[in-house]
Amino acid sequence: MAQTETATRKAGSLKFRKALIGYSFIAPNFIGFAIFILIPVIFTIVLSVMDWDGFNAMTFAGIDNFRQIFRDRVFRSAFWKTLLYVVFTVALTLLASLGLACALNKNIKGRNAFRSAIFFPYVASMIAIGAVWKQLFEANYGPINNFLRSIGIANPPGWFASTDWAIWGVIIVSIWKYMGYYMLIYLAGLQDIPVQLYEAATLDGASGWQRFMKITLPMLTPSTFFVFIMLTINSFKSFDLIYALTQGGPGTSTTLLANYIYNQTFVYWDYGKSAAASIILFVIVLAVTIVQFRGEKKFTDYL
Amino acid sequence: MIEKRSPVKTVLIYVMLIVLTVVTLLPLVWMVSSSLKLSTEVFTFPIKWIPETFHWENYVTIWEKINLATYTFNSFKLSIIITLIQLITSSFAAYGFSKCQFPGRNALFLAYIATIAIPWQVYMLPQYIMMQRMHLIDTHLAIILLQSFTAFGVFLLRQFYISIPDELLEAARIDGLSEYGTFARIVMPLTKPAMATLVIMSFVTVWNDYMGPMIYFTSDRNKTIQLGVQLFVGQYSAEYGLIMATSVFALIPVLVVFLAFQRFFVEGIASSGLKG
Amino acid sequence: MRKTLSILLIALIAMTSVFANGSSETSADGTTTLTFAVWDYSQNSYLSAVISAFEAQHPDVKIEVQDSPAADYITKLNTQLNGGDDVDLFLIKEADKSKVFYDRGQLTNLTPYIEADGIDMSTYNGTDANFIFDGNTYAMPVRTDQYVLFYNKDIFDAAGVPYPDNDMTWTEFEELAAQLTSGEGATKKYGAYFHSWNACVQNWGVQDGKHTIMDGEYSFFKPYYEMVLRMQEAGTCMSFAQIQASGLSYTDIFAQGNIAMLPMGSWLIQTMIQRNRSGESSVNWGVAVIPHAEDVPNGYTVGATTPICINNASQNKDLAWEFVKFMTGPEGAQILAENGQVPALSGEGYLETYAATPGMPEDIIEGLYASHISPDRPAMDKVTEIDQMLLAEHQLILLGEQSVNEGIANMNARYAEIMGN
Repeated sequence: MAQTETATRKAGSLKFRKALIGYSFIAPNFIGFAIFILIPVIFTIVLSVMDWDGFNAMTFAGIDNFRQIFRDRVFRSAFWKTLLYVVFTVALTLLASLGLACALNKNIKGRNAFRSAIFFPYVASMIAIGAVWKQLFEANYGPINNFLRSIGIANPPGWFASTDWAIWGVIIVSIWKYMGYYMLIYLAGLQDIPVQLYEAATLDGASGWQRFMKITLPMLTPSTFFVFIMLTINSFKSFDLIYALTQGGPGTSTTLLANYIYNQTFVYWDYGKSAAASIILFVIVLAVTIVQFRGEKKFTDYL
Repeated sequence: MIEKRSPVKTVLIYVMLIVLTVVTLLPLVWMVSSSLKLSTEVFTFPIKWIPETFHWENYVTIWEKINLATYTFNSFKLSIIITLIQLITSSFAAYGFSKCQFPGRNALFLAYIATIAIPWQVYMLPQYIMMQRMHLIDTHLAIILLQSFTAFGVFLLRQFYISIPDELLEAARIDGLSEYGTFARIVMPLTKPAMATLVIMSFVTVWNDYMGPMIYFTSDRNKTIQLGVQLFVGQYSAEYGLIMATSVFALIPVLVVFLAFQRFFVEGIASSGLKG
Repeated sequence: MRKTLSILLIALIAMTSVFANGSSETSADGTTTLTFAVWDYSQNSYLSAVISAFEAQHPDVKIEVQDSPAADYITKLNTQLNGGDDVDLFLIKEADKSKVFYDRGQLTNLTPYIEADGIDMSTYNGTDANFIFDGNTYAMPVRTDQYVLFYNKDIFDAAGVPYPDNDMTWTEFEELAAQLTSGEGATKKYGAYFHSWNACVQNWGVQDGKHTIMDGEYSFFKPYYEMVLRMQEAGTCMSFAQIQASGLSYTDIFAQGNIAMLPMGSWLIQTMIQRNRSGESSVNWGVAVIPHAEDVPNGYTVGATTPICINNASQNKDLAWEFVKFMTGPEGAQILAENGQVPALSGEGYLETYAATPGMPEDIIEGLYASHISPDRPAMDKVTEIDQMLLAEHQLILLGEQSVNEGIANMNARYAEIMGN
């Protein structure tokens, strides 16, 4: 009896000690994070049900902010446009960055130069990106439409001058801009795959495609999880590229949720509405993350 | 064995990469070409890729017109300090979130990710009010505190720590290493590519940040290079030649950091052999 | 979890314990520092000139400038005021925002000061009207800008057409633009250029002084949209799609010498003088009165006023008023004029002083003739939302994605939605 009690106490204190060590690892980051990010974010969540001019005392508004944004046609159009934008941007950027990482992980000549070039759009000046792409996509004389005409498309799209096509132009430029960034994460992930696995598979007669499907892809699961979540979040949040390319136009055809939130905060100064719109974005992202989190857990025994 | 490929495939990969590189480098060419033009020549239709006359003096003018040396120093200072703090605290936290057991771990981690989902502009005002109360407006410390503890670094490193086999850590513990020792001796060396990624991304983010310094810095002595670029943009006109000259200059450190740290993406292969 | 909670608690305590109150800014030697938020400080020479003249008169006062980039000035100012900064003085860049600051109680009521010092507000030509809320004045007008017609004399000379006289209707303008258009491709000379802002079409509806962009019934825009669409079709003005794609600014395109007539704000005068002085442009240009509709008197135009305000949280309101009075009074007006700005204060000699500054075209005084100036955006609730809505519909009309009638119907419907929400 006495023995088991000591044993449980020992086990308990060991568990406590372990927990303490765990907390000590996260504490340096968490304290800063809690004060400077988490608290302001919690404040924002509260704000979504408040009416606040940013200066005087706030008043409780219930679901008024939400009701107002759902009544706003700009919000509704932004909501659906954002889903379209996110689905295509995430899927295509993920594929492009994975493909590039695999190609540039091989021992090819000029590898470093290629990697730098493909990373470059991420750090390029937004003014330059806007200037170059707006002209490439110009409807009448732009090189892209000239090319399309030369291959027999008589009526090429109007791109940024068309409400139907502007969003596709934005999606193309987004993929182009961010593929190098996510390529880096995949490149780092690829370095973590033990060479022996490939050697064993090759001995077993696996083809290149089989090796990719059976080794590379599963071993990259943590990287893919990260890329997927960050891509989703960043696509939901991206507004600066759109600002440089179309400023949300023509009309409101490329106004996405993030632009809507930006306008509510920085242009209209309606803090309650901007918080409410962010909460909607937040809920979507959280749902996607939790689904992914579960998937990751199933995939790796590490958690 | 792995490297053997048909020559046709190799040529195809090269052609694809070269075409892609041309497209990705177009804005760079535009930036360099614009940096050698007069403002009135920068925006033309169609684009004039080679300037009529090369205005090299733009690269001299930017040093005379604004305090570029101060701004560059400030940008370096902030980028380096924030990257270091991020690297150290994030790798600690990532280890905690991936290799330690404690109550509330998953909930806390989810809180980290959740904050990434809220656009910064939305909680900028509460942050500003906080900094105002702390008397930190117009100090570098404000930006350091606000940008050093982002969830991004923790999340990134955690994803790499997860793939380190637990048996490896167990072996180290049996050899008598403490949890901190295991972290320093086993985990850190194994995840160099991940840390290199974080360094590149963190440095670039801080270096290119405009809104943060714009909101927090009012004195000239505190301003960063991206604010310097903005000094050439007036309400009614902008000096695009000088803007681009400054932007091209500001790209150099970013590219140097990229090239310096991406070499870790090769060395990783050798060390990961240990784990098999 | 308990640990997390306690960490959170400590964080909260740490946060709230560093409360601060506004610091008094009188230093040991008796000088008081006033902080003054402005934008583009180095490019607006009148600011430093006014400040040093004021400091010379008040040796015990120092004005400390807080300079921000123009594009983000209002964002930063808004953050500062909401954050409780005690910046004493500030200019308002988008004057219609003054209503929001007033609603929040961030502006000092200036009426008691105006009355105590006996300032005659009628000398501001009505530019102060936008800043009167509930019968009191909350901002003093510093400078005004108005829409005028810039023209390229070289293109007129080449076409053998006389320069625009200072009384022209929009119909005459359209005909003139056709005469001045010539060439093809990259060197084409356009008779006219309407910049991509909604203001550059909608202003001509607001110009009559009867309508504003807050009317809610927008059929008065119709003739002007039809005119611009006709001109786009005829190629006598650059198409909206091309302006968007090229990324050209109105300054660049006018300075490149490809535009015969450009309706634009008088702020462009200073920019063009600088461009010509630095050799970046060699355009020989002039300024004429903006065209008007047949039923609108000549000299009716649209403008914007830049006001100065005192922060309600300022610790030195009386002293701040001294500066406001100086800057918006005769001495300040004279300094503005000498530095190439049109002061809001009307009075003898300011315009002449302004016209005599180096680089001015000789016909400037006649070109700046105005008998009535309507504000481009009245300081009213939700004016920014309405303006953004009008911009979106404007783009769709000029791209041909919707007809003028559809566009106007949409403007009317969305106005009702925004105001009812």
